[in-house]
Amino acid sequence: MREKITVFRAVFVRNLIMMRRYMANTLSGIITIYIVFMLLFLGVQAMTGGAFAIGATTLEGLVVGYLVWTFAMVGYQDLAWGITNEAQMGTLEKLYLTPIGFRWVNGFSQISGLLVNFAIVGVLLALIMLTTGVSLRVDIVSVVPLLLVTVSAAYGLGFAMGGLALIHKRIQSAFQIVQFVLVAFIAAPASPWSRLLPLNLGSRLLTSVMVHGVRLWELPPWDVMISLVVGVAYLWLGLVIMAYHERKARDRGLLGHY
Amino acid sequence: MDSNVPALEVAGLEKTFFSRKKAPVHAVRGISFTVSQREVVGLLGPNGAGKTTTIKCILGLMNPTAGEVRVMGYDLKTEYRKLVRSTCAVLEGSRNIYWRMTPRENLDFFTGLYGIPLEKSRPYSEHLLRVFRLEEKRHALVQELSSGMKQKVAVACALASRSPLVFLDEPTLGLDVETSYELRETLKQLAKDEGRAIVVSSHDMDVIQDVCSRVIIIKQGSIIVDDQLENLLQLFRTRAYRFTLSNGHAVDLEQAVVAHFPGTTVSRAADRTVLEVILPRAGDLYRFVDLVRESGLFIAGINQKEPDLEEAFLQLVRKGA
Repeated sequence: MREKITVFRAVFVRNLIMMRRYMANTLSGIITIYIVFMLLFLGVQAMTGGAFAIGATTLEGLVVGYLVWTFAMVGYQDLAWGITNEAQMGTLEKLYLTPIGFRWVNGFSQISGLLVNFAIVGVLLALIMLTTGVSLRVDIVSVVPLLLVTVSAAYGLGFAMGGLALIHKRIQSAFQIVQFVLVAFIAAPASPWSRLLPLNLGSRLLTSVMVHGVRLWELPPWDVMISLVVGVAYLWLGLVIMAYHERKARDRGLLGHY
Repeated sequence: MDSNVPALEVAGLEKTFFSRKKAPVHAVRGISFTVSQREVVGLLGPNGAGKTTTIKCILGLMNPTAGEVRVMGYDLKTEYRKLVRSTCAVLEGSRNIYWRMTPRENLDFFTGLYGIPLEKSRPYSEHLLRVFRLEEKRHALVQELSSGMKQKVAVACALASRSPLVFLDEPTLGLDVETSYELRETLKQLAKDEGRAIVVSSHDMDVIQDVCSRVIIIKQGSIIVDDQLENLLQLFRTRAYRFTLSNGHAVDLEQAVVAHFPGTTVSRAADRTVLEVILPRAGDLYRFVDLVRESGLFIAGINQKEPDLEEAFLQLVRKGA
């Protein structure tokens, strides 16, 4: 356990250092996400003449959906691009050569990334609420577990794409396409089938919590259960795909190549 | 850990790359060798000989097709985590570290990955920074350092975990003569002071000759030589000659000598020709003298040339000894 804490500390500190060294990149990322939201917001406002509603989606619903997408996208990017970047820098093999194993190191990297992402999404939420006048309930006890369950599907996609990148290397274009597919997953209209898509049901449950003030335990248990199963299933599938490609990469000697 | 356990045992290691479209490539063919604790071994071979593949198979970064690997007694297949804890490696030179971090930050990170807390790792990291003369650069970003310094940081990061078996794959690749010399001296000193087993794979013969006591030469995936460096040099010591020929130059002679004795080097100065030639068999000297006599040149001087590893390596690899 002590060893794992030491490794987690090392990975967390490295991530913070890298974030500081790439500060311009980090800040421009946050600003871009904010600007894109504002363009979306102003565009829809202009189209609807201020009465903000697209079908069943209210402004509050749009904000929640956008935040879920941001959170999922950043997590997904951290994973998929993270593996590619490590391979590019030549450090990936070194991470595989650690006594506790790459999965732990990568897992710790994702957890520390999650903590940072919570902070980033928090700042974004505050900015959006300030500039649009939207008021959302941030009930930490309900929001955090639901958000984690929801975005775990995005992490599954990240693992899958990271695994593919181990073998096929230059597939950044596919990475970018998946980022936008995540929007489609969130925005897909409610139906029994769309609930099985990554992010879809979770995003709607989060809207209930943050917009209508429903607590986690007041949500339909069946929906919460499906959301949990979907999140875990996609995460598991992603891990399986990653493990398969990892094995292939070891067979072909591709771990360190880029 | 038992001091009699070999640092590394490799038995019947094979690696074949299979492809649907191409014929299988046998990169490593039944390689077996043992490295004792505190031994410094050089892995030599031409490009594509299978050196890096061998190292990566030993480290589990590639799945071997067949064979057994043990590091400090730990089996590659069943005790991988323990095996990894007993090894460290510089695999792609300075690409193995984070260039956007400082040497100190890199050392802290890589020792942290081995589960070594900062209070325990820092004193040794500081020692390594001193040994590699990086003290003043400890807070500079790696990307701002020279190639030699980057390489030193990579080696220091590998050594910092204090694992008993160290792999250095091309540690001096891309370095200038002076930096390469400096790094060699440091490695030599470290090998002497710390008593770790080190496996150095390099094209740079000077590194192997300076640092290693034993040499393994790999050609086309198989070991063709595994011997003490001194024995290898001794083998060639009595066979390497420098002939100075007077009375002009003779292209026919030069071509004939090169054809008969591969690895011969020819240089010309004024009316003299200098041939550095290795005459492996007893009768070769007479054959050589006959060739000179036929050319009309005279032998003005003969020196027995002190062989170096490069010469020995070229001879062995060309002949497939």
